[in-house]
Amino acid sequence: MLDLLPRLRRFAIGLAGSRPDGDDLCQMTIERALARREQWQEGTRLDSWMYRIMRNIFIDESRATSRRRETFVDPDAGLSVGGDGAQEAAVELSLVDRAMAHLPEEQREAVLLVMVEGWSYKEAAEIVGCPVGTLNSRLVRGRDALMAMLEDAQCA
Amino acid sequence: MRVTEEMLAAYADGELDAASQAEVEAAIASDPALGRKVAAHRALKATLAGHYAPIAQEAVPPGLAALLATPAQDSGLGAAEVVSLAAARQKRGLPAAFRRWAPLAGPALAASLILAIVQPWQADMPEGYAGSDLAAALDTQLAATQADQAGTRILLSFARENGDLCRAWRGADSGGIACRDDNGWKIERQFALGAAQGTEFRQAGSETDLLAAAQEMAAGEALDAEGERAARARGWKQP
Repeated sequence: MLDLLPRLRRFAIGLAGSRPDGDDLCQMTIERALARREQWQEGTRLDSWMYRIMRNIFIDESRATSRRRETFVDPDAGLSVGGDGAQEAAVELSLVDRAMAHLPEEQREAVLLVMVEGWSYKEAAEIVGCPVGTLNSRLVRGRDALMAMLEDAQCA
Repeated sequence: MRVTEEMLAAYADGELDAASQAEVEAAIASDPALGRKVAAHRALKATLAGHYAPIAQEAVPPGLAALLATPAQDSGLGAAEVVSLAAARQKRGLPAAFRRWAPLAGPALAASLILAIVQPWQADMPEGYAGSDLAAALDTQLAATQADQAGTRILLSFARENGDLCRAWRGADSGGIACRDDNGWKIERQFALGAAQGTEFRQAGSETDLLAAAQEMAAGEALDAEGERAARARGWKQP
């Protein structure tokens, strides 16, 4: 498992969009994998099993976060959401990071799994738990959006 | 038959079977725009792969590796080894933005690249500890007064949560963070710095990452000049 950590961490940081959040995600993944390691079947790939765990935690967490935001943000706080702190932080992000952050999660994970982590379409679809065709079309939409954003940024 | 966007992308990724591949190749031959699209897909892949590659080269934060270092025997997790998420988050929240650290690092801050870590330690100390030259610099140099042209520059010093004193340093093309324990200066993080092998895709980090890692580890503020002098006088032992 230790050997997988650098790759898992890269995936986590790509998904979460920052090192601190990525490291948190990585930690939750390791904890869950250790807690459930009887569920891993000898002879199957440990790496795709852990990618799947990570991906599921990420999706659950981000759904919970957006629910919390919708529910609990005080209407009066609206003005300060995205205030100077957030803007400054955004400026420090690179073009690629910003473009990735704009992608819907399902497209971001497809892009990361195939184009960064090097999984085949079939393997990536198994990690995500969707048909290959679905993965393929998410990937195309994600790519087109990224290309458009990166191109725009270069012209600006 | 029309070639779909999905087929084109799959072609660029080498995911098509032979028949579909031939189909796409024939379409590309008659329509240069399709060829450009395939090239754009491949360029994007190279950009993304290059952008994220350095992360997998970084040393894994000790807290994460530690989760696996002493695997619990049978009953799930050993609670003692698990650094709680809440504690990690809280720690991150304590020291304010990296800006506060920047003046301490001052002139040493330069645009540089980080690529790979793996840098074996010198052989005259137990594995994972600073060798004699680095240890000497860590023992004696003060960030505030060191010579400008020193081969190893101390960037800053700080105490981490368990009280150990740690120092971030950099040389010509590498740097890191070492913390003092009873055996010597244990190297906690290493970074390759410098522009030697950079490509436009790999500007992923720099001394900034090194300082950010120091900030993550620190339990509070960096030591000021006086604090450093006092720590040196104690032989970098905990107060």
